Amino acid sequence: MKTATLNKSDIGKCIDLLLQSDLRVIAPRLIPRLDEDGTDSIDVLTFTEVDSGDDHQVGEGLLPLNGVKEFLFAKHEPLFAYEKRGKKIEIIPVHHEYPQTVIIGVRPCDAASIASLESVFSDANAGFEDPFFTERRSRTTFVTYSCTAPDASCFCTSVNLAPDSAKGSDLHLTELGDGRLHVEVLTEAGEAVANKLETLLEGEGDQAAREKAGATVHEKLTRLRNSAPIMDWLMDTANFDDEMWERLGEKCIGCGACTFVCPTCHCFDIVDENKGSKGYRIKFWDSCQFDHFTLHASGHNPRDWQFKRYRNRFNCKFKIYPEKFETPGCVGCGRCIRACPVNLDITEYMAEVAHKAANPNAMKADPDFE
Amino acid sequence: MIEQIRNQARKLLEDGDVDVVIGYAEGSDPSRTTPVFIRKAKDVDKLIYDPRCINSLPLYLNKRHEYTRKGWKKTAIIGKGCDIRAIVQLIAENQLKRDEIYILGVPCEGQVSHPEKWDGSLHDGNRATKCIGCDVMTPHETDFFPGTKPDVDRSSPYEVTSPKVANLMELELDKRFAFWRTDFDRCFKCYACREVCPHCSCNVCITDETTPSWIDPAAHKKGVFSWHLTRAMHLVGRCTGCGECTRACPMDIQVDLFNQRMKEVVQESYSYKPGYSLEDKHPLITYQVDDREDFIK
Ligand code: SF4
Ligand code: SF4
Ligand code: SF4
Ligand code: SF4
Ligand code: SF4
Ligand code: SF4
Repeated sequence: MKTATLNKSDIGKCIDLLLQSDLRVIAPRLIPRLDEDGTDSIDVLTFTEVDSGDDHQVGEGLLPLNGVKEFLFAKHEPLFAYEKRGKKIEIIPVHHEYPQTVIIGVRPCDAASIASLESVFSDANAGFEDPFFTERRSRTTFVTYSCTAPDASCFCTSVNLAPDSAKGSDLHLTELGDGRLHVEVLTEAGEAVANKLETLLEGEGDQAAREKAGATVHEKLTRLRNSAPIMDWLMDTANFDDEMWERLGEKCIGCGACTFVCPTCHCFDIVDENKGSKGYRIKFWDSCQFDHFTLHASGHNPRDWQFKRYRNRFNCKFKIYPEKFETPGCVGCGRCIRACPVNLDITEYMAEVAHKAANPNAMKADPDFE
Repeated sequence: MIEQIRNQARKLLEDGDVDVVIGYAEGSDPSRTTPVFIRKAKDVDKLIYDPRCINSLPLYLNKRHEYTRKGWKKTAIIGKGCDIRAIVQLIAENQLKRDEIYILGVPCEGQVSHPEKWDGSLHDGNRATKCIGCDVMTPHETDFFPGTKPDVDRSSPYEVTSPKVANLMELELDKRFAFWRTDFDRCFKCYACREVCPHCSCNVCITDETTPSWIDPAAHKKGVFSWHLTRAMHLVGRCTGCGECTRACPMDIQVDLFNQRMKEVVQESYSYKPGYSLEDKHPLITYQVDDREDFIK
């Protein structure tokens, strides 16, 4: 593995060099607000396209609200257009642009989630290929950045990841604490980016200092859960009807916030947007938290109440996903915890399951619940 | 104060007067609280109340939550003034009967807008905008109130609208549009703004209807704008200004600016503000000969 160092203050210059090579660059940016006089807003950090190295927050803030998912799995996109002519329907292909892209400043949890999306959308793993996803994926390079200040909702270390993990990265940056970044070139795509930044990269990286810097951040994580017993417990079908689901899930209001912010959630719906005799078939994000997600045409809904929908989300992350794929169902980013308006916390479920696995008849949150 | 609330909640549960007490409990990290449903008298000590209790709990009284509500013949609920406005509106809309609930009113000095802004106390830097000009800090409709309720005049002024509404209204139309375009670009149609609203009561929201599909479900510009404008219009004269739609938005889009503006329109047109009195007549379902109609163009 090739390593180097880079001055943190040169990130803007890196972005400019990438832009000069006609690459689309996406980085965390603060969205300007209407004014600053109200308290009802927080700083909105999102991954957005940048047009100059002056305006970015790479390495600042924690997680952009949106994550990188939307740049691979679009929020909405037309699959094709159609036109009815008499009794015939003509299918018209829609042209999609897939610009060569570098996403810079991606945190390790988000980087790890890319492989999870690939499991679902790419041929090798799913036996099916979503060409929109794979086209974008093959043209996107991820420049990742170790965390320095995880918050109270982060729990990557509880799902076998780490705040300095380079999983899913093409080129990984870690702050050494002295204004320098340790650079790890991990893939060919990362190498191609490194070549463009050649004038800014110096010598060899300091691997020992990088390991040390990473380790200090591990200690800052406070939300620690044991995810080891979860899958086994979920695999026991008797537990599917455990009373815990209803009791823990009753406050869930069924918004899709947790799923839409989740970097590994990948559910979508398809609809025809029709205008007269022509239209588009559109694919767009969906959520298992919606009451009509599994509604059958007959009117029957196997997930008829909200706690069952939340049960599905938990099972999706910790049973269905790991059973089918080798990639993580949950990367511990904590976005769903930050986003949930009623503080329904996935790690509370994790703790409850671990407790249940050890004490089958007792519920942690409500010890004498019958 | 919370001790008095806990004692009363305990008494209500012990005497079988209510089946459940809806309140706030400590959340999963120190800056958060969470809605809690207390069913046993011995659990009342879980109840807390402080400036982190911004959630509008009456949401759970909406018939939409029939499953959660099942078996609750009588429900006690902890209510700040603005929550009680929501309750009054729910009663007006026949979501709930007054005698099905027992309101444990709490005084309120304001609430912190976001958990991220909680630093141990409430101050001007973290107070939610809805609280700045609040006129129901001492709640108006209660069954129990710790201490004695001061007799406050609620006739004026109307609760303050966020200064952002005025700022937006001053902008040229194209600039105002540009503001919403930037913000709506982030909207992915998760509908947290709908699900969290105590007054979004429809079992099938118009945006979920498929035959025909009135609003494009995809989160492109058309789908997003038509959703938000429809949502705003469906809450005219009904929104009680809890600000939950904005608080819940995971992309920090201030959707309640629409609702606040519509609230102003209703106030200017009918001198009416929802959720203050069980006797109110509702402007959108009553007709008076002197109703103004100059806004219909
Ligand atoms: S389930 Fe929650 S913590 Fe896990 S990856 Fe999704 S948003 Fe992040
Ligand atoms: S948690 Fe729900 S929305 Fe997310 S991937 Fe699983 S089924 Fe889909
Ligand atoms: S867990 Fe929270 S964010 Fe997810 S659907 Fe339920 S209320 Fe919404
Ligand atoms: S609006 Fe009034 S009652 Fe409601 S939280 Fe703010 S200050 Fe309290
Ligand atoms: S909560 Fe926010 S992101 Fe979700 S639909 Fe409403 S405005 Fe859009
Ligand atoms: S529209 Fe927003 S502010 Fe108005 S009642 Fe609903 S959630 Fe509250």
